[in-house]
Amino acid sequence: MTDARKWQLLLGIPAVLLLFVFLIMPLAGMVEMSFRTAGSNAPYGDGFTAVHYARVLGDGFYMATLLRSLVTAAIVTLLCLIVSYPLAWHLSTARGGKALFLYACIASPLMTGVLVRNFGWMIVVAIDGPLNASLMGLGFISRPLRVMFTQGLVIMALVHVFIPFMVLPINNALRNINPALSEASLSLGASRLSTFFRVTLPLSFPGIQPGVILVFVLSVAAYVTPALLGGQMVNLMPTLIIRELTGTFAWPFGSTLAIVMSIATLSIVVAFSLLTARLMERVRA
Amino acid sequence: MAKVKVKSLTKRYGAVTALDGVTLDAESGELISLLGPSGCGKSTTLRCVAGFLSPDSGDISVNDQSIVSTPSNRRDFGVVFQNYALFPHMTVAQNVGYGLLFRKIPKSEHGPRIENALRMVRLTGLADRLPKALSGGQQQRVALARALVIEPRLLLLDEPLANLDARLRDEVRWLIREVQQQSGTTAFYVTHDQAEAMAISDKVAVMKSGKVAQFATPRDIYQRPSERYVADFTGEANFLAARVLDASAGRFRIEVAGQTLDVPGVASLKAGDTAELLLRPESLSLDMDGASPRSLFTGVVSKAAFLGASQHCEISLGTGGVLKLAAPPNTSIAAGEQVGISVALEHAWLMPEVKP
Ligand SMILES: Nc1ncnc2c1ncn2[C@@H]1O[C@H](COP(=O)(O)OP(=O)(O)O)[C@@H](O)[C@H]1O
Ligand SMILES: [Mg+2]
Repeated sequence: MTDARKWQLLLGIPAVLLLFVFLIMPLAGMVEMSFRTAGSNAPYGDGFTAVHYARVLGDGFYMATLLRSLVTAAIVTLLCLIVSYPLAWHLSTARGGKALFLYACIASPLMTGVLVRNFGWMIVVAIDGPLNASLMGLGFISRPLRVMFTQGLVIMALVHVFIPFMVLPINNALRNINPALSEASLSLGASRLSTFFRVTLPLSFPGIQPGVILVFVLSVAAYVTPALLGGQMVNLMPTLIIRELTGTFAWPFGSTLAIVMSIATLSIVVAFSLLTARLMERVRA
Repeated sequence: MAKVKVKSLTKRYGAVTALDGVTLDAESGELISLLGPSGCGKSTTLRCVAGFLSPDSGDISVNDQSIVSTPSNRRDFGVVFQNYALFPHMTVAQNVGYGLLFRKIPKSEHGPRIENALRMVRLTGLADRLPKALSGGQQQRVALARALVIEPRLLLLDEPLANLDARLRDEVRWLIREVQQQSGTTAFYVTHDQAEAMAISDKVAVMKSGKVAQFATPRDIYQRPSERYVADFTGEANFLAARVLDASAGRFRIEVAGQTLDVPGVASLKAGDTAELLLRPESLSLDMDGASPRSLFTGVVSKAAFLGASQHCEISLGTGGVLKLAAPPNTSIAAGEQVGISVALEHAWLMPEVKP
């Protein structure tokens, strides 16, 4: 083995250890836990069983919650993409100080803690909060809207916080497109709109793909925002899982829910990647 | 068939004046080169014509109709870029056929037209490849076919050979000229390579910091340049300071290096003007037997280098100044030798002295 190769392996060790201790081990523990029998006076029992999987997959309530979680995440992802694309475009044309300022604005949702940010939303949308006050002041509504504890609010808050994860990779991809390509398209007779759909959009896909995957995965797994802004009214998988794990101390069943959610998410991500593999292969430099 | 006129184009970027009154015109079917060093405004001119930039003032017309306010997608011009600018996610055929999508051409005609364009640039059998699977020369051929398939009124090429290696450059250069002449398309061709410009152009515009220094045929810009800058940029040149004694109809009696000579030159010169005499190396010949009666100048060989097909010599004149010339390969020349120089005076050229 050469010296360089030895160093490479050596430098990789911390990352591998970190992954092993904080990802592989807990995941393996989770899988094992999901096959444990339920305990009577303890979080789990001594034997092994697959009954929890049968219960999750057979019970309409859990399947409906899983579906709601995935659909909510899909809506968040789509809205996030629609809102972020123009932002990313604008950012990609900015240079120097202006670009820096825009980066800071776009990253701003990440700069406040999750509790502070959600508390901010609560204040804004409260019955007697500024949102209702302004809408009533402008005469759009006559009675205050109840926005708190709705799925719409949860979606809006998630879109807000995940925008940077969508904007930054798309901005990056747009910056990598040779500006002469749009000019070539225009000179060949394409309108600006055709140029966007035929050239810019497909070539920005190397940014769209990671953005979509990131936001989708983060949305499915989001716990704090749905818990705080959705409360008991918006039931999503993470809320159920936490309730099982820390509320009723049913660790095996909670683990099963978590594993099912992860597998469902992973399958969707893999399917999306496979469906878009051809385009990605073409547009990769 | 399109006659193109560019009139007094100006363009400023903040404090930088990129174009300062550029005027050019092309008869139908002509290839016009924009020649000049980097930063002189060639690309800016071309981009204004293409419609990617709008000039601050001036006019561009096609067949006497102004197009400055026409957006680039309505100008019907084909553009070939230095970096090819092929759409990386489309195959060769899709790239070439792209322009047809936006024209009222029946779908059934697309295939034959694409094939025809690819045959014209001598690229067949690669229609289903992606651009990244092609060599630079092949990519530039695709770019050329893509620009030509729409039968543009004007073909614009911005340093199309700059990214190719020397051998390919020659090949693609002739291909461009051939295809342009075959299709009868008017073309503007940007380059900083004088040999390239002279070889394929009907006319050359030599540009100098945002202005057109001279707009003429390749022969004229080489043999009858308007100023030293043009002469320098178009090839090897010797200059001698001269004074005009007498002028009549483009012929001048001048005093140069202690001699009185009759030479042709730029018509605007008048008696009493200070001027520069251009002597191209090929209009000079060495008299090896020292000074012969034919010799106009005498001097000492200060440098001699064997180049294969010729020898490069520099001669320091007794009256001051240095002349570069190409001597035949088989005469023996050594530094320090005293030699005479004969001049083909009908190929000398007198130009006004232009302060830089
Ligand atoms: N977008 C721009 N912003 C500022 N200056 C520019 C810009 N584009 C070109 N210039 C300036 O205009 C001048 C002409 O540029 P260009 O037309 O690209 O030259 P060429 O193609 O002959 O090399 C140069 O001095 C260049 O620095
Ligand atoms: Mg240029």
